Amino acid sequence: MSPVLVAGGPVIPNFGGGASSFGCERANHLFCTSWISHNWSSVLWPALRQHVVLTLIAIAFGFAISTALALLAYRRQWLERPVLIVTSVLYTIPSLALFELLEPVPGLGLSRTTAEIALVSYTLLILFRNMLTGLREVPAEVRDAAAGMGMGTTQSLLRVELPLALPAIIAGLRIATVTVISLATVASLIDNEGLGVPILNAISNDVFKTELIAAGGMAVLLALLADGLLVALQWVVTPWTRA
Amino acid sequence: MHPLLLGSVLGDALSFIGRNGQIPGQPHFPTLVYLTLETLKVAGLGMAVSLVVAIPLGVWLGHIHRGSFVAINLGNIWRALPSLAVLAIGVAFLGIGLGNVELALIVLAVPPIITNAYVAVDGVDREVVDAARGMGLTGWQVLRQVELPQAIPLVFAGVRTAALFVVSTTTIASLTGYSGSLGDIINNETSYHLSGVLGAAICIAALALVVEFVLAGVQRLLTPRGLILAGEDEPALELVPAVG
Amino acid sequence: MLRSQFTRAPAIFAVLAVAVALGACGSSSSSSSKSPATSSGTSTTQSTGGVSASGSLPGSGKPAVTIGDKNFTEEYILGALYTQALQAQGYKVTLKGNIGTTEITYKALQSGQIDMYPEYDGTLLSSVFNYTKVPTSAAQTYALTQTQVKKHGFVLLQPTPFYDTDALAVTKKFGTAHGLHTIADLKKLGHSLKLGGAPEFATRFSGLVGLRKLYGVNPTFVPLAIGITYKAIDTGQVDTFDAFSTDAQLTSGKYALLSDPKHVFGFQYVTPVVKQSVLDAEGPAFAQTIDKVSALLTLPAIQKMNAAVALDQQSPSVVAQAFLKANGLVK
Repeated sequence: MSPVLVAGGPVIPNFGGGASSFGCERANHLFCTSWISHNWSSVLWPALRQHVVLTLIAIAFGFAISTALALLAYRRQWLERPVLIVTSVLYTIPSLALFELLEPVPGLGLSRTTAEIALVSYTLLILFRNMLTGLREVPAEVRDAAAGMGMGTTQSLLRVELPLALPAIIAGLRIATVTVISLATVASLIDNEGLGVPILNAISNDVFKTELIAAGGMAVLLALLADGLLVALQWVVTPWTRA
Repeated sequence: MHPLLLGSVLGDALSFIGRNGQIPGQPHFPTLVYLTLETLKVAGLGMAVSLVVAIPLGVWLGHIHRGSFVAINLGNIWRALPSLAVLAIGVAFLGIGLGNVELALIVLAVPPIITNAYVAVDGVDREVVDAARGMGLTGWQVLRQVELPQAIPLVFAGVRTAALFVVSTTTIASLTGYSGSLGDIINNETSYHLSGVLGAAICIAALALVVEFVLAGVQRLLTPRGLILAGEDEPALELVPAVG
Repeated sequence: MLRSQFTRAPAIFAVLAVAVALGACGSSSSSSSKSPATSSGTSTTQSTGGVSASGSLPGSGKPAVTIGDKNFTEEYILGALYTQALQAQGYKVTLKGNIGTTEITYKALQSGQIDMYPEYDGTLLSSVFNYTKVPTSAAQTYALTQTQVKKHGFVLLQPTPFYDTDALAVTKKFGTAHGLHTIADLKKLGHSLKLGGAPEFATRFSGLVGLRKLYGVNPTFVPLAIGITYKAIDTGQVDTFDAFSTDAQLTSGKYALLSDPKHVFGFQYVTPVVKQSVLDAEGPAFAQTIDKVSALLTLPAIQKMNAAVALDQQSPSVVAQAFLKANGLVK
């Protein structure tokens, strides 16, 4: 079957103004601000947005699951060991390996779900362990005082124990969040989203330095920002630790 | 996954490991053993340099009780550094190769070691230190005979954290074009097939566990008897290892 | 005092949890972008409407389709071209970009993760269907591949005017210094010849395996990531490497391609592979739109687009949009 040709050939526009407009990129200088401004809305901003979304979803689910597990283990001591073992195993599996292992599972494949499952797995150990430890470290006298004030177990939990465990919980959230932000860059292998995409694209595009520095730098800044926000949150939420 | 399917995939992976990672009909590919050793070499070099830089610095700062702001915040900032991003920025400046990987490994390994070394030495019971000085020990002797032995558990916590991070970052380096680690297999499903990827993944996880085990053993050897007996040989929770 | 502190914290705690959850849910639904589909993202993009009354476009009402593309520049451009052209016709298209090599992308097609992707018929024939008998013409390649994919329930659409084969490239300096014109000439350099390529090149028949068998060359293989090959040959890390004949860098005049008279690298025209059932479900205009795009892709066109993306570092989706606009396939 011979290819069908368009009479007269296609119109080939002068993409972006032609080679002369891209001197900095062609020379692969360390940092081309023109590239940044041209590609912010089509490459960098979507990647950043996707990265934030990936992180929020992973933290939300990880937090929900860990909270449930921690509260259960708080009441039933025997649960702690098995949960720790499972979450530790999940944590030890190197990220590159876990992403590649989940992908062929039928129903998962190359999707955000696969990436999220792996990302959530990495949050469980930290969040579970910190929340449980935080709860356990509430002094017995405080718990007794709460009981003495007439609070039931749920009330005591919500109004006394959890608030006192907050520093440990937020410390765990901090670590979990920056871990997810870091691993989400590798997750781009699976669902082609997030800041890992421009990073890996730049490597395969003749090691394009500007994109590497821009995307890599954004990932670092995002992680520092998230960490800083959570520190601020801890400061706001636990005034008694400020003293 | 259907249990039978899972079993057969696992079986394939184990046989992949069993034949040392060879691809049937392709004798020129590096073996699993070779790649594992290469991974250890790269990780080991990074750790060695980091230890030489970070431990003396952290211990000294802790001994003179100075620089807490820098030491603690260095540790905090470290936790936030995405390893792929650090590798990528390194590639932008140094190009693809061992140099950029080692630089990234050092950047990622030094902070937790310094922070822990600082906190460990700084946190030794002041009364014990004062008593030692009172007995006539010089600063150097105090460091060697009192502070350092007490600091072993926490210092090692930092070293173990850094080691795990370094091993997994070495495998991620294959994404940034560096070839010569177990990550090569994981990145090349086309040639090695799923069984190879799974086999290599198992190897990496096993390698991480072995490194952890060996370091724990070294820690045990170096920790003074008294600390072990007092149950103070495993440091507190807060310094959670990060994985790459 | 104590009481108010204790009651404030759980409230903030609850707000935090709800905020994170809302943020996640809200963001995930608003992550579908309305701009041209980027090859960096699996966002579901709706058709760029604004064309007369809805329902008059051939794609409206048809089931959603997922297109994939492989892991190099030309594929990103092709993926973007087909996606945007189809979307302009009202089809609901999602682009899953940068899936991987031929073998991995074809697997994704078979497992249903994608419904279609732009493939090179020769590569499919040798790498996926393991055809080691070298075809003698492009037409034969197309026919053989078509027969094979039909067995799996797929079909090849019209081939593009341009072809893009693997080819061994050397710097002109190296080539003249050693008198290299065809691949067979490499034999005299023996095992000390450093040949670079993607890791899977070493295990492919349209790669190292075929080169060894049909030409008797036995170089040292240096695995390289696709994008750093030109730097590797410029710095002498490799003496020759597996280039793509439409690579933008080849237009600089610095490199020469060695001829392949035994056709180890085969004939490689882009022939979109689609699931037959999807073709039936989407209606005739679906294949027609794809064929219209393919017909526009002459060698100069694809080379210019490759240059814009690989050398000028423009985004493939932006370049694709400019091309389609200039040829009246999108507004």
